[in-house]
Amino acid sequence: MSKSKNYFDKVHVWGAVWNYSALLMMLMVPVASSILLSTWPSLGIMGKVIATLAPLYWVTGIIEVVTYVPMLGAGGTYLSFVTGNISNLKLPCGLNAMENAKVHPNTEEGEVISTISIAVSSLTTTVVIAVGVLAFAMVFDSASNNPTFQAAFNNVLPALFGALGASYFAKHWKLGITPVICGVLVLFISPATGVGVLMFVTIIASLIAAFIIYKDLWLDDFKAMRAKKKAEKAK
Amino acid sequence: MTDFKESLGMYLIAFGVIAFIFAQSLFFIVKSWKHGKELGIKKETMINTITSSILFSIAPAISILVTVFVLAKALGVILPWIRLTVIGNLAYETVAAETALNNLGGSLSMEIDDMKQFSTVIWAMTIGSVFPLTFLPIVCKKLQNKIGGAVSKNEKTKKLGDILAAAAFIGIISAFIARAINGCTVVKEPVLDAAGNPALNEAGEKIMQSVIKESAGLLSILTLVFAIVIMLILMLLCKKIKALEKFESFAMPLAMFAAMGCAVLFSKILPQDLAGFTWYEIGGVLK
Repeated sequence: MSKSKNYFDKVHVWGAVWNYSALLMMLMVPVASSILLSTWPSLGIMGKVIATLAPLYWVTGIIEVVTYVPMLGAGGTYLSFVTGNISNLKLPCGLNAMENAKVHPNTEEGEVISTISIAVSSLTTTVVIAVGVLAFAMVFDSASNNPTFQAAFNNVLPALFGALGASYFAKHWKLGITPVICGVLVLFISPATGVGVLMFVTIIASLIAAFIIYKDLWLDDFKAMRAKKKAEKAK
Repeated sequence: MTDFKESLGMYLIAFGVIAFIFAQSLFFIVKSWKHGKELGIKKETMINTITSSILFSIAPAISILVTVFVLAKALGVILPWIRLTVIGNLAYETVAAETALNNLGGSLSMEIDDMKQFSTVIWAMTIGSVFPLTFLPIVCKKLQNKIGGAVSKNEKTKKLGDILAAAAFIGIISAFIARAINGCTVVKEPVLDAAGNPALNEAGEKIMQSVIKESAGLLSILTLVFAIVIMLILMLLCKKIKALEKFESFAMPLAMFAAMGCAVLFSKILPQDLAGFTWYEIGGVLK
């Protein structure tokens, strides 16, 4: 147990160092480009832009941290929040790897597998984008407008989440019905609901459904806890 | 193409960002690999994790690459490349860039040839998205300790913890499945008057409207259904046929590619009206 604590503590220290280095590196991008172009944005305009974006981005940022951190593992979290594309790539990739390796999140084995998986995913994405940009920069107009490619790439998310969903629904089909229906209903009322807000609704719906479906598990646990407390008081 | 967006300096900034991502990823791979060995995780399991993660990431990475080119029409290729390599995703970056440009009287539908506009867009995209990094290390450990503590009590609590983790993940998947069934993506664009200029309200501000850019429809639902069916068949095959057991980790990326192939196939064989059918008209205005 103490060894386990040591490893997780170390990961958090490494993570914090990389995290703040990444923050510095990212802030250097606009600084370097402004120096390069010898032009800086006006403060008034930036104030207006931040006032518009802050409520949207920062609230989503807080929701993302609370939602994803418990599932990604420590190392996976620090990597994912730097490289982005969490919900559509890093999270499903990490969970798929843990599922295949038959390890659980929040264990040391789960931590190792999810970190390797998310790091490899970050490298692969970076390489594919870099090679793609360098190779296709000249011909990108025709490629991005090719209707054959469009049909495939417009449907990456249904393909990804259909395949991933199947493996989870096969095991926990009871849990899948409520959140999908809730999601569809929300979109029926407000079709342009962003995935961040929608996810918040479907996760809550899914957790409530899980509590109701598996009420025996937590009710027994709750009763046992109360009995234990009563016994302690009686002593 | 205006030069300043794709100058040597901008390329050097992009390579710097890539070098950082490489260093961070390799650092964590090395540390995890070593610890995995100490824990007695089989080398084969870790190699399998690497192979399946590469396969898993290729298709989404190509779709991210396509979005780089979508933004490249207005911003040149390097800025979207940098932004989508670190933190960014298409929705965030589009909103940030469009908000900055709207404040300057521009739009992402036009190529930017003004350095000040371009510089404002870079700052807006960065400041919008780096926020989680400012507080992540402070809360990460606490959040994980709480979850770790909750799942490590007795057998029943552990089972409940596993179910809740699965339920939370199913919640995430459900959001995307629901969007594939009946969602749409809109972008705020200014209303144009008869002369093609942005229409203004009484306060002199631009009147905005929600223009539909993407929508669920027949093709997204067919892709979703085929992805589910193909995945179930592959899982069943891996379970029933012993020789296929070791290929189980490849079922997911394979099903994903096959479903994308189905999308192409349906777009070719179905009548165009049917293949292009969406619940909300692309380019239309959402009331």
